[in-house]
Amino acid sequence: MSTDRPSSGGAGGGQQRRPFFRRRKTCPFSGSHAQTIDYKDVRMLSRYVSERGKIVPSRITAVSAKKQRELSKAIKRARNLALISYVNP
Amino acid sequence: MSLYEYTYIARQDIQPQQVDAITAEFAKIIDDNGGKVAKTESWGLRTLAYRIKKYKKGHYVHLNLDAPHAAIAELERNARLHEDVIRYMTIRVEEFEEGDSVVLRSNSRDSRPPRDNNRFGNDDRPKFGKKPEGDKS
Repeated sequence: MSTDRPSSGGAGGGQQRRPFFRRRKTCPFSGSHAQTIDYKDVRMLSRYVSERGKIVPSRITAVSAKKQRELSKAIKRARNLALISYVNP
Repeated sequence: MSLYEYTYIARQDIQPQQVDAITAEFAKIIDDNGGKVAKTESWGLRTLAYRIKKYKKGHYVHLNLDAPHAAIAELERNARLHEDVIRYMTIRVEEFEEGDSVVLRSNSRDSRPPRDNNRFGNDDRPKFGKKPEGDKS
């Protein structure tokens, strides 16, 4: 018996759950104390790589275009150093 | 002079002392050509994300270099010839990051967050997943 609560951030409700909530609009790299993009930071980079190892488009991760370019360069450098794999089976 | 971050991977079946010997050799090359090694970091024997020259693991060494181009060119030439070095990468940077690089800092924190890896994993595969429960109301 699922009561039809107003879906705050798409958490509940009957409609198809969107993989990403609409409210997360801010770019995680711009702003005052944002984290720096570093090709050695595997944990941070792997958040922007899909399960198959592909770079996730910025329309999904809400990263600004300038930071997305830096991010993809860092991911490609990490791949070159075998810190991140090119493809995951 | 310009600042470079230089990382190389040595093949897995050599001893750590040999890795230090390689690092010392590279440092000497840099010093001879008028550069200096600002920082040396050994990330130890790490598992490679994919096999390089049939090796699954590799000794990672990360150097911060403050050197002219000639020293870097000579360093890279030697790394290319060296048969223990299976990969190297030189990045020009504006300034060095102080303290340990993320690699050393990250494995000092032992609590690793659980890998929530279905965040956007399913966007590049056709959707075979089960329907979300919410529809059975």
